Amino acid sequence: MASTADSASPSIWKRGEHEVSLVRLYVMRAACLAAAIALGSSNLPALIWPDPMGRGMITGILGGLWVMALIGIRYPLMMVPIFLFEFVWKTIWLLRFGLPQWLAGSGSPRLSADLIEIGLFPVLFGLVIPWGYVWRHYVRAPAERWR
Amino acid sequence: MASTAAQAPEMAPARAEDKVSLIRLYVLRAAYLLLIVGLGGLIVPQIVSHPISDRGIIAALLGGIWLLAFIGLLHPLRMLPLLMFEFAWKVIWVLAYGLPSWSAGQLTPVTSEDLTNTLVGVVLMPLVIPWGYVWRRYVRQPGARWR
Repeated sequence: MASTADSASPSIWKRGEHEVSLVRLYVMRAACLAAAIALGSSNLPALIWPDPMGRGMITGILGGLWVMALIGIRYPLMMVPIFLFEFVWKTIWLLRFGLPQWLAGSGSPRLSADLIEIGLFPVLFGLVIPWGYVWRHYVRAPAERWR
Repeated sequence: MASTAAQAPEMAPARAEDKVSLIRLYVLRAAYLLLIVGLGGLIVPQIVSHPISDRGIIAALLGGIWLLAFIGLLHPLRMLPLLMFEFAWKVIWVLAYGLPSWSAGQLTPVTSEDLTNTLVGVVLMPLVIPWGYVWRRYVRQPGARWR
C-alpha cells in the first residue's frame, strides 16, 4: 500500500519480522468482532432473561466464547487456543453428528440450521487461523519447562 | 509504534513463561489432565457412539475442550485461554441458570448434575489460574499491533 515508511513495514501482506502479517491480524480481529456481535445479539438476551425450564448449557458455553471473543479483538494471537477450539469442536460436530445425520437423510429444520450455523465454520476458521504460527508455537516449540 | 517494539507482545510468551513457578506449571498441567480424564470418561464415548438423531452440540463442544487439553499438558501457559474460557462459561452458567434454578427449587436430575460439575470448575479454576500472569499478559500488556 502507499506506505511512507516502506523500510519499516514493507507489506501488510507479508509477516516480515513479525509473527503474522497485519492483514492476518485484522482478519482474526474481524472474526472476533463478528463473533462478539453475533453472540451478543443472539445469545446475551438468553443469559439476561434465561428460560427457567431450559438446561442452558449451550447458552452458557456460548456466553464464555463471547467473553473470549472480546479479549481476542485486542490480543488475537494470544487467543489462538480459542480459534483452535472453535475449529476443533465444529469439525467434531460436522464429522460425527452433522454429516452422518444429513447423509442418513434424517434431516429436520433444526439440522439444516445447525449445518449452516456450525457446519460451515470449520472451513471459515481454517482460513482465518494462522497455521504457520500454530505450527511454530504449538507444535514445533519446545514444551514449557518440566523441571 | 516502531515495528521492533510492536513485535515484543507477539514474541513475549517465550520470555514471560519464566514468570510463574514450576509448581504453578504442574498445577496447570494437573488441571488439563483432570479435563482429559474427566471429559474422556464422560464425553468421548458419546462422540464415538450415539443415536443417529442426537443433536450432539454439547458433546462436540466438550470434545473440543478434551482434545485441546492435550496441548495444554505441553504448553500450559500458552493454552491458558482454554482454562479462562472454562472458568468464564461455568461462572456464566451458574449465575444465569444453575443458581436461579436451585433457589427456585426447579433443578431436574440433569441440571442438578450440571450444577455439581460446573461448580467444581468454578471453585477449582480460580485456584489453578495464575492471575498475576493473566493480569500482566491479558490486561496490562499492549494489544497486538494495529498498523
